Amino acid sequence: MNSQSIFLIAAIALAVWYLSHQAGRLDRLHHRIEVTELALHGQLVRRGGIVAELAAVPGIDPALSVLWGQAAHEALILQEVASPERTQVEDELTSILVMTLDEPEEVNEIRSNAHASVLLDELAQVCDRIKMSQQFHTDAVRDCLEIREQFLVRIFRLAGRAKPPVPVDLDVQIPPALAN
Amino acid sequence: MRIGIVCPYSWDIPGGVSAHVADLAEALIRMGHHVSVLAPAEFDELLPDYVVSTGKPRAVKYNGSVARLSFGPIAARKVSKWIEEGEFDVLHVHEPLAPSLSVLACWAAKGPIVATWHSSMDKSRMMLTLSKLAQTAMEKVSARIAVSEAARATLIRHVGGDAVVIPNGVDVSAFTNAKPMFGWPGANQSIVFLGRGDEPRKGLSVLVEAYPEIRRNHPNVRLLIAGPGEPADTLKSLSREDRASVTVLGMVAPQDKSSVLASGTVYVAPNTGGESFGIVLLEAMASGTPVVASDLEAFVRVLDNGRAGVAFENENSTDLAKVVSDLLSDPARRAELTEQGRLRAAEFDWSVVANRIVDVYESIRVPGVTVEPDLAGQMIGRLGRGRITPEMRSD
Repeated sequence: MNSQSIFLIAAIALAVWYLSHQAGRLDRLHHRIEVTELALHGQLVRRGGIVAELAAVPGIDPALSVLWGQAAHEALILQEVASPERTQVEDELTSILVMTLDEPEEVNEIRSNAHASVLLDELAQVCDRIKMSQQFHTDAVRDCLEIREQFLVRIFRLAGRAKPPVPVDLDVQIPPALAN
Repeated sequence: MRIGIVCPYSWDIPGGVSAHVADLAEALIRMGHHVSVLAPAEFDELLPDYVVSTGKPRAVKYNGSVARLSFGPIAARKVSKWIEEGEFDVLHVHEPLAPSLSVLACWAAKGPIVATWHSSMDKSRMMLTLSKLAQTAMEKVSARIAVSEAARATLIRHVGGDAVVIPNGVDVSAFTNAKPMFGWPGANQSIVFLGRGDEPRKGLSVLVEAYPEIRRNHPNVRLLIAGPGEPADTLKSLSREDRASVTVLGMVAPQDKSSVLASGTVYVAPNTGGESFGIVLLEAMASGTPVVASDLEAFVRVLDNGRAGVAFENENSTDLAKVVSDLLSDPARRAELTEQGRLRAAEFDWSVVANRIVDVYESIRVPGVTVEPDLAGQMIGRLGRGRITPEMRSD
């Protein structure tokens, strides 16, 4: 074997190793995106449940009860994890929570019911978690896109048939009277 | 939840990161979680039962000082074994770029991984090279935490991405019932300084410059200086009479810190810069001692914009003298600061901080997805596994 072909074989081996390495990175990142998205979804479902339960607390005024109950119901009946419809429905729930839970005095009044008070604490916690979940998911998407945009990764189609990931564009405002 | 925590620095020498890990682990255990900590440690018999040792750490020059780290094939094997046997729901690594156990753990595991950044070094070439080498390991980290805004800025600059800021905690209960040292503050009032006396950034010289003026207003006041480092040079400028009212304690054991802080009528933190948080301010507040601190950004934040303590203009000894003198002649204001300070410190108690950290764990957790050994670092493992395509999504 002459030196030229040894060089060629070495170069090919190196290229194969590099491509395999990049494919492995992509694989891990796609996995991370999937898990963070599911985690975000899990927290959203939890929020829907808490709001639905809040709406059913005896003594909550009927107007609030209807607003909360309906928005939570809309969110809970959706099946898809990530869809424009899901984003829209969750954003509506967020905006209703932000609008209805803005006055600390009013919230304190609702808190006079012990069950409602526990639920409001849980709601504050889950809103916080949703905000973090979304950030962690966006981080994963950004890390992944950085690699997918590399020339060799595109040429060799290392990402396979996996669609380019998109960040979940969710309104993650925390209701003012629940912050901190 | 089953939580695996990795501490890259030696457990034998109490330091920032290992102390943080120990406090966090204990707070999580009190909350009812199962916790296992992996750390380098030389003396097995002294370890709390939640710590698993990877053996004697090796001392290497890292980041300008000597660090005691664990690395090499034997350490890597121990990390893999710990991950395999731990069956953790969440893996939490600390200081992931230190060339030690944390980065090894990132390599060896996959699943929900959280990383906490502690350091806020500005120019660390080591960190830069490492961030390239350890990139693959970092990509597996789902959630990042920074202990301060400065640590977060370092992370953004060197690694990219963002992090949630969750500050260090204070063990409030260790300070609440602090008893002052015998004879302190006594019939007279006293000022406490805690920190390296020979480190200019700690600002002892600013306090010493203000001291004669404070003594003119309050002739019976005393000054207590605690901490390592010889402050003699700084004290040279004082008159013999003023110097006689100064007590230099030297180094203080961690368990005595609370009584030193409680020995002051006021506690002064004249630091001139380089502080990313200010845990000692919170410790003084938890001890019930009113706090006077320079108006560094981090300090003002801890003082809650003056509600829980008084700030003076950084490096301005005239202003410091005025602030301290006023406070010494105003018992009502001191009582108010004591009360507000205790409330403020409670907000940073480890129980609160650990709850925030659990929120981070929960925000990346999915039922059924746990921390598993990762073979992808090895080519064979990767070829055998194939890629995830949308059709193959199962979890």
